[in-house]
Amino acid sequence: MTVKVEVIEGGVPHNTILAAGLVASLVLIYLTYANVLTGTQLFSFFGGLGAIAAIVWGSHAIKHLCSYGIGTGVPSAGMMAFGSGVIAMLFATKFGVAAPIVAVVLAAIIGAILGFLSNNVLNMRIPVMIQSLIELAIIGSLVMMGFAAMMTGSFEFSPLVAGTISILGLSLPSYQASFIGGGLIAVAFMLGGIAIQHPFNACLGPNWTQDRMLMLAQECGFLSMIAVAVMSMALINIAAALVSVIVALVGWYYTYTRYIELSKRDAADWLDAKPIPELEGH
Amino acid sequence: MSAIGAKPAAGAAMDMPSTIAGIILLLVIIGATYFMVGPGLMFMALIGIIIGGLAIAFGVHFVPVGGAPAAMGQAPGIATGVAMLAAGAGLAGLFGGAWAAEQGLVVAVITGAVGGGLMMAITCMFVTFIYVYGMGIPCASGKVAKDPITGDTQPEFKSQGTEGHGLPFVSYVGGVIGGLLGGGGGTLIYIMLLDVYKEALPNMMQALPAQVLPIAVSLAGIFAIGVFLVNSVLTAYNITGTIEGPHDPKFKRFPRALVASAVASALCGMVAILIVAM
Amino acid sequence: MESIAFGIGITALAGALATVAGAAENTESDIGSQGDPNSQVQLAPQMGYLHRIFNKAIAGEPPAYALWICLGAGIAWAFMAMQINPILAIVLGSALAVFIQGVYATTAYLGRTASLAKFGQPVFIDVLKSMTTVTMAHAFVAIFTTVTMCHLINAALGHPFPLPLLGLVWGLALGAAGSATGNPFYGKERQYQSQKFGAGVPIAASGNIVRYAEAGERNSLDNGWFSAKLGGPASGLCFGLIVFLEIWRTVLFEHVGAGWGAIIVGIIIILIFTVIDRYIEVWARKNYGPYPKASEEGS
Repeated sequence: MTVKVEVIEGGVPHNTILAAGLVASLVLIYLTYANVLTGTQLFSFFGGLGAIAAIVWGSHAIKHLCSYGIGTGVPSAGMMAFGSGVIAMLFATKFGVAAPIVAVVLAAIIGAILGFLSNNVLNMRIPVMIQSLIELAIIGSLVMMGFAAMMTGSFEFSPLVAGTISILGLSLPSYQASFIGGGLIAVAFMLGGIAIQHPFNACLGPNWTQDRMLMLAQECGFLSMIAVAVMSMALINIAAALVSVIVALVGWYYTYTRYIELSKRDAADWLDAKPIPELEGH
Repeated sequence: MSAIGAKPAAGAAMDMPSTIAGIILLLVIIGATYFMVGPGLMFMALIGIIIGGLAIAFGVHFVPVGGAPAAMGQAPGIATGVAMLAAGAGLAGLFGGAWAAEQGLVVAVITGAVGGGLMMAITCMFVTFIYVYGMGIPCASGKVAKDPITGDTQPEFKSQGTEGHGLPFVSYVGGVIGGLLGGGGGTLIYIMLLDVYKEALPNMMQALPAQVLPIAVSLAGIFAIGVFLVNSVLTAYNITGTIEGPHDPKFKRFPRALVASAVASALCGMVAILIVAM
Repeated sequence: MESIAFGIGITALAGALATVAGAAENTESDIGSQGDPNSQVQLAPQMGYLHRIFNKAIAGEPPAYALWICLGAGIAWAFMAMQINPILAIVLGSALAVFIQGVYATTAYLGRTASLAKFGQPVFIDVLKSMTTVTMAHAFVAIFTTVTMCHLINAALGHPFPLPLLGLVWGLALGAAGSATGNPFYGKERQYQSQKFGAGVPIAASGNIVRYAEAGERNSLDNGWFSAKLGGPASGLCFGLIVFLEIWRTVLFEHVGAGWGAIIVGIIIILIFTVIDRYIEVWARKNYGPYPKASEEGS
């Protein structure tokens, strides 16, 4: 990357986004517990919304980290977040209703140790490294948990490994047709990993604006939610999956059109089939 | 190795106090796991995961990566990110190793290693092919005057205004070794976790081993990929972006990456094992 | 014997699909301009060279392709679990994955170009409209062939990994192989076509990519047309050989010597490729010869 990144000036402070993202994500993921309380699966889409809150927070965390000159690419930070986050999330699902909280705590510990290793053992000496890696690990685990809750209706271990397979018209339980057994956890992993680093990577440049990046983060989140909703059709009942699809499509359409408007606002020029403008001296 | 005080930018020196703290942390994690699961399959799995992580971290240092300048013929190496190229080779190796899992640990790990090495060998050969026949550019290193393996002189084959280009033979060999170590390390982590899960999941989920096998495979697979990515990103941080191969002076930084990778792998491995142990 | 013949047939098919996938992946990433050469597309306006090239900055090719193919595979798996015909499931999965890829491409172009407003680089809506659909088309070919290959490996050859996990593994490998092989050809030969052939781009010329070309102003389709002639097939052959040889040595030799047969064959293949690489390197040194001294070179 030969683009210079400056420290954040103005806009909403990072710690506000941190607090808002953490609280919103946890609350929304917990709202999927309403599935258990009401005995339906209609509230699964809250998991996706929780993941989006975490993705928005995550894009800003990556911006915060990279503005201190990390030296290597942006996508690596996303992969680090999810590599550590998936481990914390899977361990936390054993703890029943407390799973999201346990995920946050465990991911914070893992992130802190990884941050210490990067900053001190690997001598990177970036001021916000440890805090950023803690945030990224928490975000990774929350996004994974949100997508898992959206696909299966719950964030506890047993639903993640439960699935049905129909043989000759009969529905039989099968571990192979589940979120973990079928490998859909890998899709959630990659969806989140790319969605978290794309907003900052795509809005990189001297005219970076915070509201445009955050809008793009929401758009990436809703786009991922569309894919997750389609995949959830195999695991939860069709009505709940359709609710998820509709929420995701509406949210995506709104954020995408807003993002295009914001890009139009920020761009130097918005030309259609015009030649390259001539600059003096070139 | 000199222990200079806190530096403002990533230096090549090893920070001894932090390194020692890291090693202590590693021993604490190993000790805690031993305390919780006792000697046996699970503890051996943790040791295996640490060794796998070390292999990955060491292997990534061998892979020649030139980054954006390499895409313009300005620097030697492959024009891709180091973490992702290593992950690509390692996962291709993991694919082969997972297939051979039922043939025993040694065969599976070596199969995985050969798979990773094969992918790097073919990729590096095609990189040289494109540079020589597609772009008319010979291979030249910017960091050494003579190739350590073949003895070919480098400076006169370096075009003006560049730092070298292509893949000198030592970089090619480095790439293959990196693929071997990455594929082997990733497969080792996968097999260790697979054995632990095959053993413990039937109990935990009250089901037959054959039924639980897909869960064990997927869990072990996604954990192996997660640990692999964490290790390769940490090593990418150590290399700070680009490296020409084992002959590059940056290669000498590998000891601190080994410490960092050991701790990170131990931590992730401990959590992965505790999922079924607690 | 019959099962080995069946296995070899599937292996050959997987290799062929992988070759097509590699070629499509390279052309797609060259038309979209993704990965390391894209840093030049980003740099050019900052050095005062405005252009009409598509600036698709979606991470690097390995993680991006890991996502598209894992996503295509995951959606295909979900449809197959709903008892939909496997081929239809793979087509639908690839279609949805391509839709998501297209949206990511448009947001990347808009974002990067809007953030270069300071240098006067405009957003060209016609570039957005015409290039996005072309990269989506090539991406569809790459995703569909790779997901089909993964499905064959899982269903016909019996690999233990589920389809999405195979998609992640092979997507990452496809991106890595295609990017390693195709990026220098696109970056040096086509982007910097005005520089001397047979030498790397001097550092002083960074950012001065070709913007006015064969007929009018160059756009990404012109770049794709060129790199599809060598970069594309080379990437395809690279990835195809990787998949074919990896599966071939396993299917044919895994039962020879309790697994050691496949290992030994693998090592022999690595040595063969090492010899070929060394031959190419020596051929270049002998036939191209060293560069003339600096005083004789043009500036």
